[in-house]
Amino acid sequence: MAQVVRPKIISVISVTAIILILLAFPMLFMPSIKHMGDFVPMILGIVITLQFVSVIGVWHMKRWGVQLFIIMFTIRVITFMFLEMYNFRFYFNIFYSLLFIPVFLFHYRKMDTNL
Amino acid sequence: MVFALLKESIVFAWGALIANKLRTFLSLLGITIGIFAIITVFTIVDSLERNIRGSVQSLGDNVVFVMKWPWTFGPDYPWWKYINRPVPVYSELAEVQRKAKGVEAIGFRIAARKTLKHLNNTVENGIVSGWSYGYGQVKAFDISEGRYFREDEAEGGYNVVILGNALAEGLFPNNEYAIGKTIKVAGRNCKIIGLFKKEGESMLGNSMDNQAVVPYNFARLFLDVKSENSDPFIAAKAKPGVTNAQLKDELTGIMRSVRGLKPIADDNFALNETNLLSKNFDGLFDIVGIAGAIIGGFSILVGGFGIANIMFVSVRERTNLIGIQKSLGAKNYFILAQFLFEAVFLSLMGGVIGLLFIYGLTFLADGAIDMEITLTRSNIILGLTISVLIGIISGFIPAYGASQLDPVEAIRTN
Repeated sequence: MAQVVRPKIISVISVTAIILILLAFPMLFMPSIKHMGDFVPMILGIVITLQFVSVIGVWHMKRWGVQLFIIMFTIRVITFMFLEMYNFRFYFNIFYSLLFIPVFLFHYRKMDTNL
Repeated sequence: MVFALLKESIVFAWGALIANKLRTFLSLLGITIGIFAIITVFTIVDSLERNIRGSVQSLGDNVVFVMKWPWTFGPDYPWWKYINRPVPVYSELAEVQRKAKGVEAIGFRIAARKTLKHLNNTVENGIVSGWSYGYGQVKAFDISEGRYFREDEAEGGYNVVILGNALAEGLFPNNEYAIGKTIKVAGRNCKIIGLFKKEGESMLGNSMDNQAVVPYNFARLFLDVKSENSDPFIAAKAKPGVTNAQLKDELTGIMRSVRGLKPIADDNFALNETNLLSKNFDGLFDIVGIAGAIIGGFSILVGGFGIANIMFVSVRERTNLIGIQKSLGAKNYFILAQFLFEAVFLSLMGGVIGLLFIYGLTFLADGAIDMEITLTRSNIILGLTISVLIGIISGFIPAYGASQLDPVEAIRTN
């Protein structure tokens, strides 16, 4: 099975995305999030973790990574809207995701279809 | 089929953890410490918050307090504006009571620390509160034995007292029946007519346990009613349908007229409400919570790196085995699940041990301090969630790497 060569732009974006996603992790401990409900940190945590997994997939040039990234971006936006969290994090997440997704889609055809 | 594979990968993961007990223990230690740190902080903050909110609520949500000092904090507190204000006095109560339309109940209270005595038993620095009759309808309290004083006892300044639990225990250490007994309050004889139900320690210091409540007209005989040290205030409870803002507007007008303030003069009194206190505490708890989150977050980060490291070692050690499994037909997702489960198990075990430590600590704290500290459901859910997610995050990269190995090359590896 031939290894797909990863473009530099994907490497840069993946590293940036991993850092941004990991920086979002402490959000789960914020008192304001805890006060929203017992299961809110869990839901946000799952979304963040799956976003992390999706970026690992993109790093390995897998199509499922791009698909999962887009799905998780959509779910994250919907979750934030549902929780009425229209804060800096919400807009920043939209901003960087909308920057990254076109790049991922541009290289989508070159990516591997397997797990 | 999928469940059978999952079950098999769980069994494989469990076997690997059991085979390396010391390594398993050391790697889960990081997560244990992280979860312990972060959930301990949240448990303490939640318990303090609950205690303070309970204390604030006992003052009443729909109650406005007429006082000398406002309940606001912060660096820009202009204390020099307030220091020369007069304290509220009992004569103002009648005026306010007569004019206020939005008030359901209104009362006056003063308090100071005095000595209480019964035979050879003495309680120093007990809080002796002088209440007008109406204050009993404003303040929330429970009486376990006996009764609250009657209106004629309050108006006539009868020497009757209702004792808090801690004071009763101090004056009657042998569990004697206290109702009807006479004690000395600030050197004056006083008949016990009631006992307050035990409340426990209050963070605001307003627990009824340390209070002896006497009618105001009796208390003014030995308390300095015009002194700030007696902390006098008028408390007004809003009628149903009247908001605190409406009540404050009405009280402002009445107090200004009672004190004869000119239209251009500033108010020389403060109208406080309990939600002011709550708002101040909200900010404080948020800061403590964020500080706890940062400290715990770093501990968990270290724990996560520990698990990732161990997983990389584990994959390296079992590369040969992975090759054999793959050559026998194991799918990529089976290998992925096997290592991912191992990481999640490790992390979850660490989290559970951390939570058990906290649970034990709450029992120790219960005996040591007079405040209820409980590990709440939300903190348990948070602790377990963080453990599982850290397990996935730190285990995914090594597990995915293992799943992508070429079987031929993997088998060749020593």
